[in-house]
Amino acid sequence: MSAPQDTKQVILETKDIVKQFPRVLANNDVNITLHEGEILSLLGENGAGKSTLMNVLYGLYTPTSGKILLNGQEVQFNSPKDAIDLGLGMVHQHFMLLDPFTVTENIILGSEPGKRGTIDYKQARREVKEISEKYNLKIDPDAPIETLSVGLQQRVEILKALYRRAKILILDEPTAVLTPQEVDELFEVIRDLRNSGVSVIIITHKLEEVMAISDRVYILRGGEVVGERNTSDTDKTDLANLMVGREVVLTVEKEDKQAGDTPILTIEDLRVLNLKNFPAIDGLSLDVKPGEIVGIAGVDGNGQTELAEALMGLLSVDSGKITHLGDDITHMGTKELIGRSISYVPSDRHRFGLILPMTIGENIMLGYHDRKPYVRGIQLNYKYINSHAEELVEAYDIRTPDVQNPAEKLSGGNQQKVILARELSREPTFLLVSQPTRGLDVGAIEYIHKQILAMRDRNVAILLISLELEEIFALSDRIEVLYEGKIVKEFDPKKTSHKEVGYYMTGGKE
Amino acid sequence: MDIKKLKPVFFIASILMAVIGTTLYMGSYFSGLLFILAAVVLFLAYKWLESGTAALLGLIKAGAQALMVPVFGIAIAIVLGALVMLASNYDPVESYRALFYGAFVQNWHVSVLNAAPLMFTGLSVALAFHAGLFNIGAEGQYYIGAMAATFLGLNLNLPPFLSLILIFVIAGMLASAWNIVPAILKVRTGAHEVITTMMLAHTARYLSPIFIRAHGGDPSTSDHAYVTDQLPEANWLPRFRSFLPEANYRLHVGILIGIAMALLVYYLLYHTRIGFEIRAVGQNKDAARAQGISIGKNIMMALLLAGFLAGLAGVNQVVGLDHKLYENLSAGYGWNGISVALLASSHPIGVIFTALLWGALDAGGQYMARVTDTSNSIVEIIKGIILFLVVAKYIYAYLGNRIRRYRRRKQEAAEGAA
Ligand SMILES: Nc1ncnc2c1ncn2[C@@H]1O[C@H](COP(=O)(O)OP(=O)(O)O)[C@@H](O)[C@H]1O
Ligand SMILES: [Mg+2]
Repeated sequence: MSAPQDTKQVILETKDIVKQFPRVLANNDVNITLHEGEILSLLGENGAGKSTLMNVLYGLYTPTSGKILLNGQEVQFNSPKDAIDLGLGMVHQHFMLLDPFTVTENIILGSEPGKRGTIDYKQARREVKEISEKYNLKIDPDAPIETLSVGLQQRVEILKALYRRAKILILDEPTAVLTPQEVDELFEVIRDLRNSGVSVIIITHKLEEVMAISDRVYILRGGEVVGERNTSDTDKTDLANLMVGREVVLTVEKEDKQAGDTPILTIEDLRVLNLKNFPAIDGLSLDVKPGEIVGIAGVDGNGQTELAEALMGLLSVDSGKITHLGDDITHMGTKELIGRSISYVPSDRHRFGLILPMTIGENIMLGYHDRKPYVRGIQLNYKYINSHAEELVEAYDIRTPDVQNPAEKLSGGNQQKVILARELSREPTFLLVSQPTRGLDVGAIEYIHKQILAMRDRNVAILLISLELEEIFALSDRIEVLYEGKIVKEFDPKKTSHKEVGYYMTGGKE
Repeated sequence: MDIKKLKPVFFIASILMAVIGTTLYMGSYFSGLLFILAAVVLFLAYKWLESGTAALLGLIKAGAQALMVPVFGIAIAIVLGALVMLASNYDPVESYRALFYGAFVQNWHVSVLNAAPLMFTGLSVALAFHAGLFNIGAEGQYYIGAMAATFLGLNLNLPPFLSLILIFVIAGMLASAWNIVPAILKVRTGAHEVITTMMLAHTARYLSPIFIRAHGGDPSTSDHAYVTDQLPEANWLPRFRSFLPEANYRLHVGILIGIAMALLVYYLLYHTRIGFEIRAVGQNKDAARAQGISIGKNIMMALLLAGFLAGLAGVNQVVGLDHKLYENLSAGYGWNGISVALLASSHPIGVIFTALLWGALDAGGQYMARVTDTSNSIVEIIKGIILFLVVAKYIYAYLGNRIRRYRRRKQEAAEGAA
C-alpha cells in the first residue's frame, strides 16, 4: 500500500543538530529527514544519541546548535507543548499514564474538551471511541489503566498522541516491554497508521525489527549518523557492522554437542512463595545436564526472579527439592552454594551483581573474600587480589585503566564482564545466568554469548533465564517455557519457531 | 641491596616517628612537629617504594582533593563567623586572635582533652556509617562506658596496667552490649537503629544519676553532691607529665589511645575481611547477600563495634580526666561524634583531625569568651556552618548519585529490555 518513496514530501528535517551535555557530545551534526507517511527507524547502540535526538525533536531538550524544519519551515520548540501543537507525538519508553484513571481520562488529560474548567466527559468518550475506530486501535474507553496489559497501555499512549492530532509519531524503544505477539500487533498498528498518513519514527537497537517494520533507517554511532539505508537494500549484517563500527557476528556459531547423561542439577516439584506470599514458582521440575544449556523462556514476571533467587538460596523454598551433584541443596545458604561450584550471573547487575563503589579487584574477590589466598587470617591480601584481578581483566578483555578503578566507572558491557570474570573463573559445575546481555550492545552480546558457549564446551551445566527469545534461541540446547511459575512446554530449538514459543509464553494452550 | 626490601622499615619508622612526635607535641610544639614531619616524609617514601611515583602523586592529589571541601568549608565558616561578629558588634580580629591563640597555643591541652573522647565517638559513628547504619545513640553507649569504668575503677584492685586494660575491655564490651537490642531489632524486624539507639541513649543517660547515688554521690551533702567517689590513683591513665615535664598536668595518654584506635579501625575496615564485609553490606546489601555475605551478622558486628568505640569515650573520660563520674556533666560527646564523623566523611584517619578541630574550636571558644567580650556561642555558629558546608558536599554527591542512578536505570530500561 505504501506509495513510492521519491514522490513523498519531506515533512520533518533536522539540520546539523548538535547536543552537548556537560561531558558528552550526544548529537554531532545530525541531519535526518522524515517523509510523509513513512516508517523511519533510528538504529544505534546504547548511548548512540537516539533518545537525545528525539527529545530534541519533541522539545524536551534545546539543541546546542542546529535547526529543525517542519514542512520546510524552521521551528523552535521550547517545550513538548510546542511540539504537540505542531503535530508531534511521542511515546516514551516509560509510559506516562495515571494508573487509577480510565483510558478516556488519560487520553484527554491536558487537553480536555469542555468549557471553562468543566470536562465534557461524554464528548471525550465519543471522541476517543472515534479515534480508536478510525485507526483500528481497539480499546475499552472506560477501563482503568491498571487493568490493562503493557501492550494495551502502549496503545493508550499512541491514542493519546493521535487525540492531539499528531501527524508525526515518535516511538522510543516501543518493543522493549512487549511479548512477540504484542510486537506483531504493534507493527500492524504502525502500518495502519502509516497508511492513514501518519509518519512514524521508531527507535530501536534490534536489527530484526528494523528489517521487519521500517521503510528506511538511519544508523547512529557516537552521536553521529554513520549511515542511511532503504530497508529493502540492506541486511542485518550490514546494519550491525555500521552500528558497531566493526565486523560482528550476530549469532555466535554453536556446535552440536552431546550433553552428559547424569544431570548436574535437578529441580523437583519446586514451590517458592514471593514476598507477597503468592506462589511465584508452583510445581516446577527441571534438570540440567553437563555440557547443556537449558533456556528458560518466558514473559517477565512469570517466576524468573523467584526461580533464580530460590536456586541461589536468596529466597526460601516452600516445598520441592533441588539436587546438585547428588546432594540435596534445597535449603542451603548462598555462601555454601557458592562454595560448591555454583555460579550465578544475576539479571540486575547493579543491584545484585556488583558493589559499584568498590574496585574491580574487590568485586572480583567478592564471595571468595573469606578464603585463601584472598585472605590470610583476617588480613586481606590485596597484592593477590589485585594481581588476580589483573589476570582476569586481561583474559576477559575488560576495558579499564586499572583494577583499582571502581566498578561504577565502567560501561555496562565492561561491568557485565567483571561479573562474568568472577563467576566463570571459579570453574563452576553449574552456572545460572539470568538476562546476561540486558542493555548491552551487539558487540558485548557477541562476546558474552561466546563465553557462555565456552563454558558449555567445558561441560558446565548451564541454566539460562532470558526474556529475549533471540538469546534463548541462539544459545539453548533445550527450551523450557515458563508460564505462571510452571514449565508449560519443552522445545527443541531446532524444531520450533519464535512464534510457537511465544504462543506458550503468553499462556497458550495446546 | 634492593631498596624495596627496606619498605617495612620505612613503614615502621614512620609510625614510630608519628607516635613520638604526637607525644612530644604535648610538651614541646617544636620538637613534636619535627617528628611528625619526619613521619610524613617517611610515610611518603614508603608509599613511593610500594607503588611508584605516579601512584604517589595520585595519592597526594587525592589527599589534596579530599581536603579541599573541608578546608573550603572552614574558610567560609570563618568569614561568615566574622560577619556575624561584625553584625553583633564584636571585634572579629581580636576575637579570632583569641580563639586561635587559645585553641592552638595557650590551651592546646584543653583542645586535646576535648578531642580524645570525640575521637572515640567519631570512630563509632563512622564505623556504623560504613555498614550503612546511623549510630545516633553513641551518647548512650558513652554513658554506659563511663559508668562501667567508674564501677570497675572503684572496685578493681589489680596491678595498675592490668586493671586499666580490663577496664577498657570490659567497659567497652558492656557499652557494646547496649547496642545488642537495637542490633537484634534491626536484623529481626527492621526497626530503625536511629530510633532504637536514640531511645536507649536517653535511658542510659538517666540511669547515670541512680548509678552515682549508689557509688558515693549524695545530693544532701554539699561536698559530695552528684558525683561518685574518686577512683584510686592506680586505676588512672598515665599522664604525659610523668615523662614530659613541660606537659600540662591534666593531659593524659587517652589521645594516643584514640589515635591508635583510629589506625586500628582503618586497618579493620580496609584491610580485613571483617571490614570488607561491613563495607560491602553498607554499600550494596543485595549484592553482598548474593555473594553469601550475611547482612544480619554484619549489622550486628558493626553496631557492636560502634558501641564498643563509643563506650571507650566514656572510659577515657573517667580513667583519664575526671577520675569520677559527675552527674549532668555531659559535653555531648556522643552527639558531637556524629559531626566529627560526618566532617571526616567517615574516614577513620580523618576522624583524628576532625576530632582535634572540634576540640580545638571548643577550647578556643572558651578562651575567647574569657579574654574578650565575644560570646562563646559564635563558636557554635562557626561549627554549624562548617558542618553544613562540608556535609552539603554529601548532599550534592547524594543528589548527583541519585540522578545518575535514575538516568542509568532509565537508559538501561530503554535500551535493555529490548
Ligand atoms: N541529560 C543528560 N545529561 C548528560 N548526558 C546525557 C543526558 N542524556 C543522555 N546523555 C548522554 O548522551 C549520550 C547519548 O544518550 P542517549 O541519547 O540516551 O542514547 P541512546 O538513546 O541512543 O541510547 C550518552 O552518552 C548519555 O550518557
Ligand atoms: Mg535511548
